[in-house]
Amino acid sequence: MTKYIIRRLLYMIPVLLGVSLIIFLLFNVVSGDPTAVLLGKNATARQMADLREQLGLNKSMFLQYIDVVKSAFTFDFGYSWATKQEISQMIKQGSYPSICLSVPAFVISTIISLFISVFVAYYRGKGIDLFVRVVCIAGMSISALAYILFFQWFFAYKLGWFEISGFEEGFPAFVPYIALPAIIWIVLSIGPDVRFFRTVILDEIYQDYVRTARSKGLSEMTILLRHVLRNAMIPIITYVVIQIPSLILGALLLENFFSIPGLGGITLNALNSSDFPVMKAMAILSSVGYIVFGLISDILYTVADPRIKFK
Amino acid sequence: MKQNSLWKDAFFRLAKDKLALFSLVIVLIYFLVALLSSMGLLASTWSQEVGASNLPPSLEHLFGTDIFGRSVLQKVIRGTQVAMSVGVAASIIAIPIGVLLGAFAGYFGGWIDDFVTWLYTTFSSVPNIMLLISITLILGKGIFAVYIALGATSWVTLCRLIRGEVMKHKEREYVQAAGAIGGGHMRKLFRHILPNVSHIIIINTSMQFQIAIKSEVILSYLGLGVQGEPSWGTMIDDAKLELVRGVWWQLAGATVAMFFILLAFNILSDALRDALDPKLKGK
Amino acid sequence: MTLPLLSVKNLVVEFRTGEGIVRAVNNISFDIPHGKTIGIVGESGSGKSVTSLAVMGLLQKPAAVIPQGEIFFNGVDLLKCNENEMRKIRGNQISMIFQEPMTSLNPVFKVGEQIAEAIRIHKNVSNKVAWEKAVHLMNLVGIPNPSASAHKYPHEMSGGQKQRVMIAMAISCDPKLLIADEPTTALDVTIQKQVLELLHKLQQDLNMSMMFITHDLGVIGDIADDVVVMYRSNVVEQNNAQEIFTKAIHPYTKGLLACRPKLGANPRRLLTVSDFMTEEGVEKTVPVERIQIFDKESEVIKTDHVLLEIQNLVTQFPIKGGLFGRTVDHFKAVDDVSFKIKKGQTLGLVGESGCGKTTLGRSILRLVEPSAGKIIYDGKDITHVQHEELRLLRKKMQIIFQDPYSSLNPRMTIADILMEPLNIHNEGGTKAQRYEMARALLEKVGLKASLMNRYPHEFSGGQRQRICIARALMLRPEFVICDESVSALDVSIQAQVLNLLLDLQQEFGLTYVFISHDLSVVNFIADEVGVMYAGKIIEMDKASNIYKSAKTEYTRALLSAIPKGETKQSLASLV
Repeated sequence: MTKYIIRRLLYMIPVLLGVSLIIFLLFNVVSGDPTAVLLGKNATARQMADLREQLGLNKSMFLQYIDVVKSAFTFDFGYSWATKQEISQMIKQGSYPSICLSVPAFVISTIISLFISVFVAYYRGKGIDLFVRVVCIAGMSISALAYILFFQWFFAYKLGWFEISGFEEGFPAFVPYIALPAIIWIVLSIGPDVRFFRTVILDEIYQDYVRTARSKGLSEMTILLRHVLRNAMIPIITYVVIQIPSLILGALLLENFFSIPGLGGITLNALNSSDFPVMKAMAILSSVGYIVFGLISDILYTVADPRIKFK
Repeated sequence: MKQNSLWKDAFFRLAKDKLALFSLVIVLIYFLVALLSSMGLLASTWSQEVGASNLPPSLEHLFGTDIFGRSVLQKVIRGTQVAMSVGVAASIIAIPIGVLLGAFAGYFGGWIDDFVTWLYTTFSSVPNIMLLISITLILGKGIFAVYIALGATSWVTLCRLIRGEVMKHKEREYVQAAGAIGGGHMRKLFRHILPNVSHIIIINTSMQFQIAIKSEVILSYLGLGVQGEPSWGTMIDDAKLELVRGVWWQLAGATVAMFFILLAFNILSDALRDALDPKLKGK
Repeated sequence: MTLPLLSVKNLVVEFRTGEGIVRAVNNISFDIPHGKTIGIVGESGSGKSVTSLAVMGLLQKPAAVIPQGEIFFNGVDLLKCNENEMRKIRGNQISMIFQEPMTSLNPVFKVGEQIAEAIRIHKNVSNKVAWEKAVHLMNLVGIPNPSASAHKYPHEMSGGQKQRVMIAMAISCDPKLLIADEPTTALDVTIQKQVLELLHKLQQDLNMSMMFITHDLGVIGDIADDVVVMYRSNVVEQNNAQEIFTKAIHPYTKGLLACRPKLGANPRRLLTVSDFMTEEGVEKTVPVERIQIFDKESEVIKTDHVLLEIQNLVTQFPIKGGLFGRTVDHFKAVDDVSFKIKKGQTLGLVGESGCGKTTLGRSILRLVEPSAGKIIYDGKDITHVQHEELRLLRKKMQIIFQDPYSSLNPRMTIADILMEPLNIHNEGGTKAQRYEMARALLEKVGLKASLMNRYPHEFSGGQRQRICIARALMLRPEFVICDESVSALDVSIQAQVLNLLLDLQQEFGLTYVFISHDLSVVNFIADEVGVMYAGKIIEMDKASNIYKSAKTEYTRALLSAIPKGETKQSLASLV
């Protein structure tokens, strides 16, 4: 077990180097020389050379790559081209609204989805199961953009139940701002979640050990909640934990539509102003999040499944 | 008893599923529309003014007109062409990469496997949306960048699935038997194993196709996608400002067009999975 | 006369499938008296397992329908009970053990917990009391160190131990009826014997009734009071065990009794069900020469030419460990094995799972690379030959695998499968000639030539094994390894395939290495037998000598574990 975790930890190193390599290749090699864009058409050669020096673009490719790797550990990403702010500072400020939105939405949607999946698994093959499946598939076939636009227009603009956009710090001040985006988040994730959880649970229901449990005289609900769910939790945990890093980005689109000044908003602003250092920082940050939570999910997996510990 | 290959069997099972067959027809219609549009036979006049600005849907203009008086229906058709082309391009890039890397890694193991595993772990460690917007931003906005970005992200799942499945099949006795009668590695891999895992390519492509369509819409909405041409994403972007003025038909047109193709692919993917590989459920 | 404990009357079970309605159980009736064991015998698909699931009320609804019949248990018709009433009976008064101990236990719960659960729901006792009872039961079914073992997870136990846990769970509430569905089929012979003895002892001690389902009549010879024989959804014969074994009436039962190879004398060819009855179930007279007992000793050894010699062969696999998955040690699957086979003879290799017999077979063919020792084939050292030479070798040495379901490529037609060896070695002339060769050989192994364009999934297990045999013979090899080639087949099919192998050996002058876990099969087919244990051949002798005077303790244990059935009398009674 400990050995497995250590090996898994060590494996993070080549993956982190690989991720840095992709980001380095994209932003330092393929993108070309940014100084002309940054300084405009009338820049002198002198100015451009100074700027290159300042941005560290004079260094050899290898040293530039090392800088990218370093930033993955130190979270020191330099300064934004657009706002001239320190990027780590921007990220710190952006995390708060993002977390206010994503954590409650994520927790609630996961709980609701789990509840629905167990419910439909119990009534598998019956009308209600079919109905939920149809709703899930139909719901998943509508563009996220359409949901956001419609909900914002209808509930916030037309009915005036929620704030149309903006954000305020501090609880409960932020609640009216995040309520609608959170609801949209939940609506968006229930479809795919229920579909996944349901198949995982049904996969287990046809296993031999369930037949054994029935032959013991257990009731169908007990079998579902005790035997089946305990086994289905193994893939479910992986699925849920691996989603957590995407919370860091917040809902890119949601934050954009509702003008919530979170990390997603920062990323899209950087995108619009071709602010490479911020984009780079967000790519590194979110990748590190993926890697770390990938590790956590693997470790939880070994905790949930007794078969793995002793391998 | 009929003489049935597993492919035929699977097709008959699929054909029995009326809903799946209907979905297949819808997908084919979308392809046809996209093809006709790309050949200039359909909606070639999308950029021309056909009526007043922002006309609501009517018999004359089924989906209404946009702010410049252009037909929304024709824009939706052009958008279909863009969306379908992105799905096709992403598949053309992703399938050879994913299948070959996955097959070699799974079959030969050793350092090849180590390398391929590292490669796809690395790619899947960068959140998809970040990779997509970064690649399109760096390569310069436009449809070509979207092709590359989606190709670069969608080989990963296929590669992982193929690798796992090839590893399983490598140990099966029919592959051992092929070795015992003197078959070499290439015969074992390409003649015996790959035909037995190829259903995964079909199922996965069907699932990746809808991801590609959704991604294109989002990228176009963000202004990273197709330039100077209508796409479902740019139409939704327009609608963002129009909705408050009661102009809902651009949003509706794009959403409805997208809804049916995604729904068809969703149903088809499930049906394909059931017909081709019941064991793959939920994976 | 008292009422029987269980009484099945005119039971019909049907399955609704995509292709229509399939009748799995056709109007069967039988009784299980108090305190008796009833054996239900039949091949796969005969409806025996469906019958047991119907008794338990565990048939998958709505696919399964019971349009007719009654199942009385203690005077109550189980078919009229609702789900709640059935739940109180299941696991409490009627309990069940399944065939596959590997998958029948929940992998994420401790075994003690799984046994205790059954006690808790039916006996209304505290967790602690239930746990203690579970430990007590584990002791009763012979699991060593029960109080510690109760904390183990299923994957930490061997197959035999898992089946003991299943038994403990099944008897936890002192059921009146225990249903055992092929409980020993997945186990090694020595373990099978122990489990059979345990079941018999528990049945006697607890005065339970038992319904024992098996495809192998031999298995229940010792423990069943009555036997019910099922064939194609029908009960064809039922009687007390003694009568069945000595005076079988139905030709199918006679066939079942005769087709299992005996440890002692055997006919030259095994009798099969088809010797006793036609496809349509009409009785046939058995030709007398088929029944003649064959004495191997009297057969002259055909040749003295040594075809294959193995010298001190070792095959080892690395054990990975440590932080970076380095090789820390080696596991010797084959450990210093030496033997010789003369041309035209059969060497039997027998041993239990994990003894290295399969690895040995594959090492000889160089499908697995041996680590040390020599393989000398026809006077030539082939231990290290490579590329073209190795490819040529494949023409002479072939293998038939165990699992007929996975050893044929499901995406190729039979014609393609059979012609592939010729294509690889560029033999057999034109495509039409190759096709003709394949067709001829398919007929030789007993399948119709019209099946050439079919795909493997359209064939039964026995038919597939015939196709595998044909494929192995396409290149006209001299030497064939049969790796558990009949183990996955029902006994009746097994006899047919064994006969086929013998016929082909004679016709083509083949030399066999026959690998099996079943000593009676090996004894029937082999001239010489090697007993393998932990990678080594611990004993090797003429087949008849092994049977008569085994030298090692292990071989004797293997021998005594073979289910006996009733052999000589029943064979004599057929004449």
